[in-house]
Amino acid sequence: MEEISIIGQVVGGKFGDIIVRQKAGTILEIGDLLVSEEDSSFLILQVFALQYGSQIQERMQQMMSGVNLEQGVIDAQFYEPEFVNYVLARIKPLARVAKSDGQVKIPKSMPSFFNKLRLISNKDLEFLKKGGDQIFVGHIRSGTKVIKEAEVWLPAEDVFSHHILIPATTGRGKSNLVKTILWHVLDSNKVGALVLDAHDEYYGRRGPGLKDHSNAKNNLVYYTPSSPPAGANRLAINLQSIRPEHFEGIVEFSDPQLQALRTYHRRAGDTWVTEVMRVDPDTVAMSGDNPNRGEFAAVTLSVIQRKLRLILGLERDEEGNLISRHEVFDSTTRGLTTVDDIVNNIEQGKVVILDTSRLGDEAELIVGNIIASRLLYRYKEYKSTGELARKPVATVVIEEAPRVIGEEVLTRKNDNIYSTIAKEGRKFKVGLTAITQLSSVIPKTILANMNTKIILGNEMKQEREAIIASASQDLSEDDKNIASLDKGEAIVTSIFVPFAMPIKIPLFEEMIKEHQGSPKATKTKVF
Amino acid sequence: MRFAHLSDIHLGFQKQEALQKIEQEVFEKTLDECILRKVDFILIPGDLFHNNIPEMRVQKFAFAKFRQVHDAEIPVYVVYGSHDSSPVANSVIDLLAETGYITKVTRVKESENGKIALDFIQDKTGVKIAGFSGLKAGKDREYYEKLDRDSLESEPGFKIFLFHGGISEVKIEQSQEGEYMPLSFLPKGFSYYAGGHMHRFLHYKYADYLHVVYPGTLFSGYHSDLEENAKGQRRGFVLVEFDDKVTSVEFVEIKNADYEIIEIDAENRKADSVNKELADKVKGIDSAGKIVIIKVEGELTSGKTADVDLSAIREYLSQSGALAVNINKNKLTSREYKITEAKGKDKDEIETNVFKENIGQLRFEQKELIGDPGVLLAKKLLKELGQPSLENEKKMEYLQRIKQGAFGILELKIDDS
Repeated sequence: MEEISIIGQVVGGKFGDIIVRQKAGTILEIGDLLVSEEDSSFLILQVFALQYGSQIQERMQQMMSGVNLEQGVIDAQFYEPEFVNYVLARIKPLARVAKSDGQVKIPKSMPSFFNKLRLISNKDLEFLKKGGDQIFVGHIRSGTKVIKEAEVWLPAEDVFSHHILIPATTGRGKSNLVKTILWHVLDSNKVGALVLDAHDEYYGRRGPGLKDHSNAKNNLVYYTPSSPPAGANRLAINLQSIRPEHFEGIVEFSDPQLQALRTYHRRAGDTWVTEVMRVDPDTVAMSGDNPNRGEFAAVTLSVIQRKLRLILGLERDEEGNLISRHEVFDSTTRGLTTVDDIVNNIEQGKVVILDTSRLGDEAELIVGNIIASRLLYRYKEYKSTGELARKPVATVVIEEAPRVIGEEVLTRKNDNIYSTIAKEGRKFKVGLTAITQLSSVIPKTILANMNTKIILGNEMKQEREAIIASASQDLSEDDKNIASLDKGEAIVTSIFVPFAMPIKIPLFEEMIKEHQGSPKATKTKVF
Repeated sequence: MRFAHLSDIHLGFQKQEALQKIEQEVFEKTLDECILRKVDFILIPGDLFHNNIPEMRVQKFAFAKFRQVHDAEIPVYVVYGSHDSSPVANSVIDLLAETGYITKVTRVKESENGKIALDFIQDKTGVKIAGFSGLKAGKDREYYEKLDRDSLESEPGFKIFLFHGGISEVKIEQSQEGEYMPLSFLPKGFSYYAGGHMHRFLHYKYADYLHVVYPGTLFSGYHSDLEENAKGQRRGFVLVEFDDKVTSVEFVEIKNADYEIIEIDAENRKADSVNKELADKVKGIDSAGKIVIIKVEGELTSGKTADVDLSAIREYLSQSGALAVNINKNKLTSREYKITEAKGKDKDEIETNVFKENIGQLRFEQKELIGDPGVLLAKKLLKELGQPSLENEKKMEYLQRIKQGAFGILELKIDDS
C-alpha cells in the first residue's frame, strides 16, 4: 500500500465498532468506505461516527483555550499538534472480499490491529460487475465522494419480485430515483411495470422523461386522461371493468352497503355500476314489483350512489350516459379493453405509466386496484399452467404507499390488492415498488417482506428507526448516516447485495444527456 | 353538401358462389345508392379488395361500377388497406387510380429530419383530404411516428383524414384482430376522420377528434362477420352532411341476405349428443334461400372433434335450399385429445417435443403411428403439408402435389382415400 493513500490506522475498538485514527492532512467523512488489506482478502469498512482524540488531558486543553481567549495570546499552538490532536473514526466491517476470485462474504473477523487503512477505489469494487438481467440504481459513494466506475446493479427479477421500498422525505430525490430505475427497466423486456404516476412526472410530457429513452417506442406505454401526446393512449376505463371487491381496502362501505354492491353485481353482471347509479333509491325501496324491494334501505342506496359519484367522479352526459368528470371512467363502449391492454403490455415486459394526476386519491387507487388485480390473477393462472417461468417479473409502482398498506388502513378495512401483492405476490413474480415518507405506519410483517430498501435522506427519527429495524443488513449504527444523506444519496439494503451499499443516484436529466446520441434520420417509403 | 364513407368491402373474399354474388350485389347497390343520393365524393379508407390482385371476375365488376361512378362525376378517394396493399407488388388499386376512376390520397412532400410531411388533395367542394394507407402487421405505425403533424394541423378549412387501422380507444374486444394504435397518432383538429379496418359501424367524438367514424364492412371480410350478420349486425355505409363543419353522420343500411344461426354448446358432452342436437336444430329451421351459420364450441368429454359430424348437416342444408352453409368449430376441443404445449430451443425442437408430449394420447393398432415412429411420421407429414405453392403453380396443381406427397409419406395410394 502506498504511504500516500493511507488515511488511518486501526487503534482499538471491538467487532462492529473499530476505532481508527485519522491521518493528519486527510479528511474522513461519515459513510466513507475504507479498505484494510489482509493476506488473501481485503476488508471493506465504513465510517459511521467521528470524534476528536488527543494525547493532552482535557483539563490542559481547556487551560490552553483559556490562554488563547482570555490573555490575548495570539495563535498559541500545541507542540507538534498533528501528533497530539487528531480525529478518531468509528468504523464497522461491511464485507470481506477474496483477492483470488472476488467472492464477497459477510465479515466475521476484525482487521489486523494497527493495520493501515486506505480509501476504497474502483478496483476494489470489481465484484460489482454487471451481469445478466439487472437494473442500475447508482454509483458507489464513499462519504460524499462518488466512485463513478463502481456502478450498483441489482438482479431485476429477484429485486422486483421481492418488493422494493423507497423511503424518503420530500425533496430527497425519490422521483429521480424511480425515473433512473425505470429508465434501465426500459432497456429490455425483462421487467413489466405498472406505474401509478400521481404527479404525471415520469413520462416527461413537459420536459425530459422516460419518453426520451431510445427504447421508449417499443417498451414504454403512457396513458393519460387528457389530450394525450402523439403516440400516447387515452386513459379510459369502462365501468364494466369495476367489481365490488376493487373498493375493498380503499373505500369504506358499511356491511349493508357492501351487501347491496355485491347483490347488484350478481344480478346485473358487468353493468352493475350503471344499474346502481340508474335506480331511484326510494322506488327500489318501496316499489312492489321490483325484485330488490325491501332488500335495501333507500338511505343505503343513496349513500352508495353518493360515494360512487364522488369517488369515480360520475356525471350524466346529454344522452344520459354515465361519464366521469376526469374522463377516466366510461359507461359506453370506451375503455372496454384498457385493463387487458395494460396487463398485456406488462406481460410483454413493458413499462406502463398511468397519469393519475387528475384523479382523486381513492379513484387512483381503484384504477390501480383493477389493473393490479387482473395482473395478479393472470400471473396466478400462468403459475398453474406452468407458463410463469416465461413471463417477465412485474412490479406495481405506487407512491404514498401507506394509503394502501398502512397499518391503519389494513386494520380498519379489508386487505386490498396491494397488501395481497406485498404478502404473496413474490410466489407469482409480481412485486410492489412502494414509495413512502412514512415507513413507520407500514406493518412490520409487510416491511419485512420488502427485501430491498433504497433509503434516501430522512430527518424523522421515528421513520429512520422503522427502516433500520426492517433492513436486510444491520444498520443499527447508521441512524446519523441516514439523517445526513443529501439529495440523491442513498443506502441500498437488500438480501441481494453483500452489504448495505452507499450510493449516489445520478441526476436523471444528466443521465439522459449521456445516453442520448443524435437520432439517425431514416427515410421511410410511404405506400 | 354530402359525402359517402365506405370501407372494408373485401371484394374477392368470398369463395362460395352464392356469397360471391351477394358480395358483388351489396357493393353495386352501395355505389348505386351513392349516385342516387348525389354525393359530392366517396371515401374508401382501405380494404376495398380482399387482396392486392383479386381474380379477374372481381376486377371486372369493380371496374365497371367505378366507371359508372366516374361517369356520374363523383370522385372516389382511397387509401390502401392492410389487405389490398402490397409493399413488393402492385395492387389493383393502382390500376383503378391509373384509369382515373379513383384517386389515391396519400401524397408525401419532402420534409426534414426524417419526418413525413403529407400534402392535401383538394376536392372540388373545397374539402381538403389527406391520409395514410394501412399496412399488414401494423407496419404503418412508423408513418404515424414520423408524421409531421404541425403542417397538417395548421392547415385551415374543412379537412378529412383517411386512415386504415384499429384505434385502441374504440377497441371493444380483446380478441379483435390486428394491431391497434392510439388515437393520439392521428393529427388533431380535422373535421372528420374516415376510418377503415374495424368491421362494425362506430362513431366516436373526442375534444380534438370531432368525428372518428368507421362504417364497418359492407357484407363480410372475416368469417366472423357472417356470424355477426346472422345475429343482427347491420351493414352499410356512412352518409355525411356538411357545410363548414359536419352537420350529420347517418348510417345507411344496405341489406345483404337472410340468415339462420345454430349455436351448440358442446361443453362436457359427447359427440353423439352434440350430433343429435345439431340434427334436431337443423330440422327445426327454414333454411331455404338463407345463409346458415353453425357454431359448435366447448370441450368434448371424449372422442375426437372430428366425431362431431358436420358434413351430413351441410349436405342436408344444401338439399333444403340453403344459400350457403358456414360452419365454425374453431373453439371445439376434446378433453381426450387436447394438445399440450412443449418447449424447445428452436422450431424443429418445439415441433418434436409437442408431438412427443401428445402422441401418448393416441390409441392406434398400427405401431408406426404411435411412439417414436409416430413422432417421426408426424414431423415428415407436417413438413410436407407446410410446403408453399410454387411460383405460377395453380391451386389445383398445388393441392394435388401436396396430397401426393402426404400420401407417399403415409405409404398410401391416392385411390385409398
